[in-house]
Amino acid sequence: MSFNKESALLIVAHGSTVNPDSSAPTLAHAAKIRRRKIFAEVGCAFWKEEPSLRDAIFLFDPKSICEVCVVPNFISEGYFTQTVVPRELDLNGRITKRPNGQIWKYCEPVGSDPRMTDLLLQRAREIAPGVPEAETSLLIVAHGTDLNENSAVAAKREAEKIRALGKYAEVLNVYMEEPPLVSDWRKLTMSRNVVVVPFFISDGLHSYEDIPRLLGITVAAGVDRGRPGSPPPATALGEIFRRNPYKIGDRLLFYAPSIGTDPGFADIIIEQALAAKS
Amino acid sequence: MPDSIERCLESAAPPFCFGQILIRKTNAGHFILIHRDDEPQKNLEIFQNPDDAIEIAKYDDAGNYRPLKTAPNLRHGWRLELADLEELRRALDYFYPGRLAVFAAWKGGELKTTPLRGTLDRQSGMYRVAAKISDAQINDLVANFCRSNGGCLRTILWKRDRGGGIASTKLPKEKFDPGIDQIQALERPESPPPATTPVAATIPLLCQEACNLLIAECRKVVKGK
Repeated sequence: MSFNKESALLIVAHGSTVNPDSSAPTLAHAAKIRRRKIFAEVGCAFWKEEPSLRDAIFLFDPKSICEVCVVPNFISEGYFTQTVVPRELDLNGRITKRPNGQIWKYCEPVGSDPRMTDLLLQRAREIAPGVPEAETSLLIVAHGTDLNENSAVAAKREAEKIRALGKYAEVLNVYMEEPPLVSDWRKLTMSRNVVVVPFFISDGLHSYEDIPRLLGITVAAGVDRGRPGSPPPATALGEIFRRNPYKIGDRLLFYAPSIGTDPGFADIIIEQALAAKS
Repeated sequence: MPDSIERCLESAAPPFCFGQILIRKTNAGHFILIHRDDEPQKNLEIFQNPDDAIEIAKYDDAGNYRPLKTAPNLRHGWRLELADLEELRRALDYFYPGRLAVFAAWKGGELKTTPLRGTLDRQSGMYRVAAKISDAQINDLVANFCRSNGGCLRTILWKRDRGGGIASTKLPKEKFDPGIDQIQALERPESPPPATTPVAATIPLLCQEACNLLIAECRKVVKGK
């Protein structure tokens, strides 16, 4: 697989002014793709971090880069992919020709790729190795507010696809802020084993602290913030994923990192760029 | 064929500074990067992968996350050894994301600046209200938020509005001059270096458009937070 030497890849993502791990998966996917030398250049840009989406307009030298494929590292189509990214990058559709001659191709977000289902299944298997799927409930956690309506739709779509495979005893969508609530997982599930996969693009406050608290595993994992006012335990970030399984009553709960941290995202980003070229 | 960024780096004969980083070249053609406040002989923690710059740039000396990489709070105590120009370029892009490309575009006469009012008027959603900020409030906010001393080391190229109003009358004129090293200007406020200081000695961190952090601050001012 190779692009011509005049093609660049730009991965755009949300980023954060408070969460140091928000941009980490995007940077890691970019580094992985860069090593494969498919594109002449691979860059990243963020809404809330640097380089900004506006900076990205200048990232690629028009004398050496003729074509830029823009892949949104977002879990679904929505406000950011449909409004913010095109506006900030001065895109006027799927294909934009710049005054300097560069062609910018706006691709589908990674979350729209059909291989997302395989990644979710793979992550669920990795977090609970050897646990029979037929005796396991799989929970896919999304945010679930009006603002993130499309991410909830994408999570539902993935759950339906996995349910249709008939592998797991149950496949459920749960949300942080609307029913069915993740905090009701004991009532919602019947199986002894429960696998929980956050449907987010990166780990952060939600996956490190909020969802564990709603699941009731925060204290058990030892990542509680401790005394009020004390800073978050930087060394403990991610520790919550290394204490599996959590035995709660007669249940075994397996908690996975956000799906967006999966290295397989790099392949999906490449495929989204390829799809825009064809 | 080297692109515009590589040509800029090649022409900036080491040693040169980029923000708070001092870049030297060894006889073997390798590059050594340290914090410009650190003594090269000091017992510095050695890194040898350009990707290490991501972690070095992530937290300040006190361990706080650095949401603005051009803030003057790059941590001390490290030495990054890089094999070639490609690694140097990658590391510098992790330290100051996008700034090399913006500098190269400026050098090539291709950089387009956007007035703050243009950026504000473009906002939607929760940031739409930020456009209601007054000129006087902008004057005060930019003076505080963007100042090189504790705020941001970028050189401001954007204007307040399409009429060409200055971003803040409360900032020194050096803040808007790409020929001035913002850190040297801070150290010698009484006698800033002349504007003819060669750019090659310091690659300036150019700001062609207000960042999202400043827009968020404009919103806070309007909302009275």
